[in-house]
Amino acid sequence: MAQADSTLRLQTARDQPSVFKLVLLGSGSVGKSSLALRYVKGDFNSILPTVGCAFLTKVVQVGEAALKFEIWDTAGQEKYHSVCRLYFRGANAALLVYDIASKDSFLRAQQWLGDLESEFLPGDIVVMLLGNKTDLSDERQVTFEEGKAFAESKRLLFMEASAKLNHQVSEAFSAVARELLQRQEEKVDQVQRTKSQVDLNEGSLRQVKCCAR
Amino acid sequence: MCRSWLGGPGLQREEEEAFASSQSSQSSQGAQSLTFSKFEEKKTNEKTRKVTTVKKFFSASSRVGSKKDIQEAKTASPSINRQASIETDRVSKEFIEFLKTYHKTGQEIYKQTKIFLETMHFKRELSIEEQSECTQDFYQNVAEKMQTRGKVPPERVEKIMDQIEKYIMTRLYKHVFCPETTDDEKKDLAIQRRIRALHWVTPQMLCVPVSEEIPEVSDMVVRAITDIIEMDSKRVPRDKLACITKCSKHIFNAIKVTKNEPASADDFLPTLIYIVLKGNPPRLQSNIQYITRFCNPSRLMTGEDGYYFTNLCCAVAFIEKLDAQSLNLSQEDFDRYMSGQTSPRKQDSEPWSPDACVGVKQMYKNLDLLSQLNERQERIMSEAKKLEKDLIDWTDGITKEVQDIVEKYPLEIKPPNQPLAAIDSENVENDKLPPPLQPQVYAG
Repeated sequence: MAQADSTLRLQTARDQPSVFKLVLLGSGSVGKSSLALRYVKGDFNSILPTVGCAFLTKVVQVGEAALKFEIWDTAGQEKYHSVCRLYFRGANAALLVYDIASKDSFLRAQQWLGDLESEFLPGDIVVMLLGNKTDLSDERQVTFEEGKAFAESKRLLFMEASAKLNHQVSEAFSAVARELLQRQEEKVDQVQRTKSQVDLNEGSLRQVKCCAR
Repeated sequence: MCRSWLGGPGLQREEEEAFASSQSSQSSQGAQSLTFSKFEEKKTNEKTRKVTTVKKFFSASSRVGSKKDIQEAKTASPSINRQASIETDRVSKEFIEFLKTYHKTGQEIYKQTKIFLETMHFKRELSIEEQSECTQDFYQNVAEKMQTRGKVPPERVEKIMDQIEKYIMTRLYKHVFCPETTDDEKKDLAIQRRIRALHWVTPQMLCVPVSEEIPEVSDMVVRAITDIIEMDSKRVPRDKLACITKCSKHIFNAIKVTKNEPASADDFLPTLIYIVLKGNPPRLQSNIQYITRFCNPSRLMTGEDGYYFTNLCCAVAFIEKLDAQSLNLSQEDFDRYMSGQTSPRKQDSEPWSPDACVGVKQMYKNLDLLSQLNERQERIMSEAKKLEKDLIDWTDGITKEVQDIVEKYPLEIKPPNQPLAAIDSENVENDKLPPPLQPQVYAG
């Protein structure tokens, strides 16, 4: 029975990859939307948004597994900060974006992290700190080391990228995808070790989630 | 294969019975003959309803009456009620037709749905949170069973779940939408008053990247407002979500036309807030609560519909908290505008009232344009007349000048004094010519 179920799950995984919700956080004009748009545009198979780039989806292939990203852009203006927690519900990953040429945006990213920490248990959500606009290295206000040190202290993934030059953009999203899949596998393994009965539920839960999309 | 399947009529009968039991007196009128005892029962029902209606005015808690009373009192007018039950019937028929295509699984689903509706009937007195939880559990159980037992592929499960939601929520709607046990209605009125008090907020204050000067854009804004208002008229949570999505799409188009680039969330949220402020959609909080409680939860946390719904929740939360700072105004200005002492639009140079609707504004603008055109036309006419006069003057002048010159130098035609000599005529000036050379002989 357990075997039958797992093959079923593999089948559905092949037809319909699991959906992961990723929220883009960061202050206004750090280039959140540009990053997402650049990332999605690089793939010719995905349907391009005709009018808006606030909600985007993309199927990613990581090795043999595939997953579907649902990218939720959030309003970055300071005045909307307090209401933006509503976007977090059900998120699997968050991309904390700052502008390497703006110290202020780096501090705001830290603020966002605080919000995430109050909403999620550690390990429930994959967070990446992303320094955007490496093309503006002449005006750099946040050093690579500074960003990396902060990310490491908080156990976040870290990268620097440039949406304008299309540098390291898909790499950043892929890193998040890999981490998500790895954590999912670990979770499944753990559950399997404890009780195979629970694994059945876990599998179908995941399916409910992906088919709802 | 179909032998086990009782077929349409059987299922329908079952369905009608369930329907009759849940609707008590109302639908039994049609199905059975009205006996006197039934009539009597109805009359007493009516009496108690009147009593509870009066009671309702005096007591804050509506739990005083029995559940039937609440149900009866909630039905607003007979015609609306009849219309609703027609819709319920239609949805039920569609649901049964839909399930028929799934044979045994469909039958199983129908049975489960019926049991669920029956249990919900007895849970009406429970808090709305408990009822919501039951519904959510039901959604999850049915979906799970379909996958594990029925081996239904995920995309079909999704389709079936949509139909189940439509069926059960069309029936539960009137009991669980804006229930009297909650303060949903109070919240509705509060947000409505709040939006009315904020009537003076301009697109500029919210930094809305939409220019309503462009007719195409203002058209989209109107459509977005219509969609968000329409949400209240739908009964199924998913249909309500579809209205929000439609509204959002119009907003994206409006931004796209204005800015000529795809809109990001930085543009979208302020515009949605502006649309909500302009539209003041009816029973906004009730609708949001209802969707949150009774929609399939996976639809709200993920997916495009979920994204727009979350944005609407953000917009409402923002409007509730909105202060001077969020509009880039000084506290004094904000207070003055809120109290209605002054309106920021009074400084506008526009001669017409700022509250006039778009059509009237457009009309004023057109009138303005017409009067300008009129002025120009008149100018052209006078210029043309001047040109005509100039032309006439010029011809006259020329004629006069020519005449003057003619007078000054009158043209005298003298008769030719001598006709020109023809070369070959005889004797013409022959005399003047030297005599022809004569050959002479020289002695040499």
